[in-house]
Amino acid sequence: MKMRWSAWVLAVFLFCGFLLPLFLKGDPREPVAAPFSKPVWADRTQAPAMSLTVPTGEAGKTFSWSWEAPRGLSVTGEVLFAKTPSKAALIWETPAGAKWVLSDLSGQNRWTLDLDARDMAFRISLGLSPFDESLRGLFDKHGMIRVRIESDVPVERSSLLVKIPGERWGLFGTDQRGRDVFLLFLYGIRVSLFVGILAVLVSSLIGLDAGLVAGYVGGAADTFLMRTVDVLLSVPLLPVLMVLAALWGKGLWQLVLILGLFSWMGTARTVRSMALSFREAPYVEGLRALGAPTFYILARHGIPTVLPLLLANIALGVPGVILSEAALAYLGLSDPRVISWGRMLHEAQSFGAFTTGAWWLLLPPGLGIALLCLAFMDLGRALEEWADPRLKGGRA
Amino acid sequence: MIEIEGLSVSYRSGKKEEQALSGVSLSLPSGQITGLVGESGSGKTTLVMAILGLLPPEARVAGRILVDGVDVVGMAENERDRFRWRRVALVPQGSQNAFNPVLSIGSQVAEPLRVHRGLGRREAERRARMLLDEVGLGSKAAERFPHELSGGQRQRAALAMALSCDPAFLLADEPTTALDVLIQAEIADLLKRAVRERKMGMALVTHDLPLASGLCETICVLDGGRLVETILAKDLARGAKHPRTRALVAALLEMEGNLS
Amino acid sequence: MRPVKRYWTRRLGGAACVVAIVLVANFFLFRLMPGDPVATVLDPRFSPEAKAQLEALYGLDQPLGVQFLLYLRRMATFDFGLSFSTQRPVLEEILERLPNTLALLVPAYLLSVLLGTVLGVIAARRRGHLAEKAVLAAGAVSFSFPSFFVQMVLLLLFAYVFPVFPLRGSLSIPPPEGTWRILADRIWHLALPVFSLVLLGFGGWALTVRNLVVKVMGEDFMILARAKGIGERRLLWGHALRAALPPLLTLFLLSLPGVVSGAVLTETVFSLHGVGRFLLDSVLGQDYPAAGGAFYLLTLITVGSNLLADFLVQLADPRIKTGGEESR
Ligand SMILES: Nc1ncnc2c1ncn2[C@@H]1O[C@H](COP(=O)(O)OP(=O)(O)O)[C@@H](O)[C@H]1O
Ligand SMILES: [Mg+2]
Repeated sequence: MKMRWSAWVLAVFLFCGFLLPLFLKGDPREPVAAPFSKPVWADRTQAPAMSLTVPTGEAGKTFSWSWEAPRGLSVTGEVLFAKTPSKAALIWETPAGAKWVLSDLSGQNRWTLDLDARDMAFRISLGLSPFDESLRGLFDKHGMIRVRIESDVPVERSSLLVKIPGERWGLFGTDQRGRDVFLLFLYGIRVSLFVGILAVLVSSLIGLDAGLVAGYVGGAADTFLMRTVDVLLSVPLLPVLMVLAALWGKGLWQLVLILGLFSWMGTARTVRSMALSFREAPYVEGLRALGAPTFYILARHGIPTVLPLLLANIALGVPGVILSEAALAYLGLSDPRVISWGRMLHEAQSFGAFTTGAWWLLLPPGLGIALLCLAFMDLGRALEEWADPRLKGGRA
Repeated sequence: MIEIEGLSVSYRSGKKEEQALSGVSLSLPSGQITGLVGESGSGKTTLVMAILGLLPPEARVAGRILVDGVDVVGMAENERDRFRWRRVALVPQGSQNAFNPVLSIGSQVAEPLRVHRGLGRREAERRARMLLDEVGLGSKAAERFPHELSGGQRQRAALAMALSCDPAFLLADEPTTALDVLIQAEIADLLKRAVRERKMGMALVTHDLPLASGLCETICVLDGGRLVETILAKDLARGAKHPRTRALVAALLEMEGNLS
Repeated sequence: MRPVKRYWTRRLGGAACVVAIVLVANFFLFRLMPGDPVATVLDPRFSPEAKAQLEALYGLDQPLGVQFLLYLRRMATFDFGLSFSTQRPVLEEILERLPNTLALLVPAYLLSVLLGTVLGVIAARRRGHLAEKAVLAAGAVSFSFPSFFVQMVLLLLFAYVFPVFPLRGSLSIPPPEGTWRILADRIWHLALPVFSLVLLGFGGWALTVRNLVVKVMGEDFMILARAKGIGERRLLWGHALRAALPPLLTLFLLSLPGVVSGAVLTETVFSLHGVGRFLLDSVLGQDYPAAGGAFYLLTLITVGSNLLADFLVQLADPRIKTGGEESR
């Protein structure tokens, strides 16, 4: 069989969701850069996040600057001088040649710095306006910037770290709390796959049993089950799920159960129609004539008969469940501690994606859901064709 | 007058190609009933459908079919609509599913009148009721739906519909198959009367030789997609040359012998 | 039993079942959960008068059976009590929002059904052509893209990047003066939500129409209809679509509950002042009288439109009247 594109997509998703996070260090819940940073590839006029160590030598650290002035800058770490300097400072030289003293380091041989441009005192000490967000003075034009420790005694040790949070970060940027959207996206794969597959397994199990009983046993059981299906199909699904999620709690397992309980109807109908013809098959009538118990017939022969189509049904059922889960999370009815694609969209809407135009918060989770759903649908089609080769080619 | 010259039809399904008709030439004169006789699968329905341009897309057609002297093979759909029903009408094989199940019989009989004659709805439905009366269904049948009629009644309704635009030629594809023997005779009578009264030509497709010999002047025998014999009905008992025809006649004679 | 009667017995029985189950579920669910009326009576948020009123309303001192009967009577008269959060009658709150929801859903679904039907029939006739490919793609999008995501992208595009439509709400704040201005303002606020629902809805519908029409085109009666030389247009719209109508209506009927779900999501994305959004806010705020009332009313509306659609199916399919094969 030719490898379907959906198989590749699912493999990549599985890898990214379950294996990749093991190799990537970093907690997805921790901020890594300025809030609402764009993806690095998105806007080249904005500065990327930078992190530079300042060495002990006289030359200091030089780096090239070719972006707009950032809004943030911080310096942290320790400096240890060989002996107490009478005159020392942390110097910032701009491309235009201006010289700024970020911090005076004289009169003490050990300094612990924690400077942040958001800090009013630091801004005022630099002579920057406390109200102007951008640090235009420090980044006066494109070119080389140098940060160095200037002193009359040798510097023994320096762990000074200059950080520019930047306006661009990572593959998918950052969200309203400065978290890495790419990491969030990776962790979101797990929830969608977990809830999608488990809930469909639950619903298939229910649907299989209900369908077999309705089709094979028939009579009152059939009437009852099919009426139940009709009733469930005529109740608005999302409001029911919302109410149940709010009442039963928002945990993943509860979600799996709720979604499973309300999506078995299609499977039951399919299995029922197969069970109806299975019941009339000569070998089954033979088994019945021989006195084989119903349970044995169904377990030994019934389930294997419907299994191929059931597998296709499982794959085709996953998109619906994934979409329902995402909808619930988007509406805010999911555990806020669990990272999921729906939750990401919820937060994007609640925390100003529309007022800041943060499209990078929308596209990854949304397109992720869509791609996953399309892949499962394609997989389901392939399984359907495998279960029933007549479907191959011209599908009406 | 319908003339068929060297008509070949084949059906392609996948890689297989099935020859349904090969090089059939015959003429169906107006004002006469011509029988098309042959066993099941000999290509009779294919021939009828080819005349009206109703073959499925997988069919390949070669040869010429002249309706009133105009070749209709390869004609565009909208050109075909100009002779369909006005010149050549059809009583389909097994009218079980011949009617649209959700439309009333009256409206379906009236439809060609509205389209081809440009009649208003009222007038068309009045005519439809008259036609239904004429074929012995009664005008009440107009309000009924296909599933409410029996097989014989549906066949009558199909005939009423075929007659609606006074066509010059009627193609009747096994009009009596799958009906009770008594009803077969009634339908046969009805066809004969309608054709005589309206001076139409008719092609009667059947695998029922007695019926054909009773109604037709000329009989064309098809076998495996080939025209194997054209013979006058009155010469059937003695003059048949082709073994297929003789076999058919022998079966017929034997049956009559059994009956008497 | 006559076929029509049997049909309606089944349909009405099903509808009654749905309503009964929702009633019972509402009664117990909202009573067994944290924050139920019993607990709320002890809630310090409520004044003593409000507590007394609540106790009397729910009959909390009575046995459960009596409480249930009282509850049934209140549901029958649409008396859902006061909302916990606004202290206004829930029915009043819902009725205030219902016109907004209807103004969103009715045009959206009429347009998508109309557009979907036309495109579906065209796609059925021109297999393999552009129309068919477009319909297939639109159908795939509507089955695999989260509706709210597509709507969010549209909102970002047409309210932020190209600010043609408002970002949120059903009416400008402050509202404009004059009836016509208000009407225009409402339409301006509804345009993008309605457009998004049409965009999301027509594909699936077109796909359904196409599949059904393709199936009907293969039936025997279509050959005879073609033989009648009545022209492509009559053939397609008068015969094929007409014959596909009963199953189409049945499918439309099955899609109605989804319409309500669509309302909740759409009203959330566009911050519309509607019933779906009200349900969500009540659920999130544990406002049980409000959530229960909204849920019950939404179910009633769904069941009611289901029955209406059943009636249309019966009109469209003569076989039901006289007991031929039923279309589903
Ligand atoms: N749509 C089709 N596809 C493939 N083969 C067909 C099709 N219709 C008819 N045939 C074949 O063409 C031959 C003639 O069929 P038909 O014209 O229906 O015969 P008749 O009407 O005499 O029974 C048969 O062998 C039949 O199998
Ligand atoms: Mg035939």
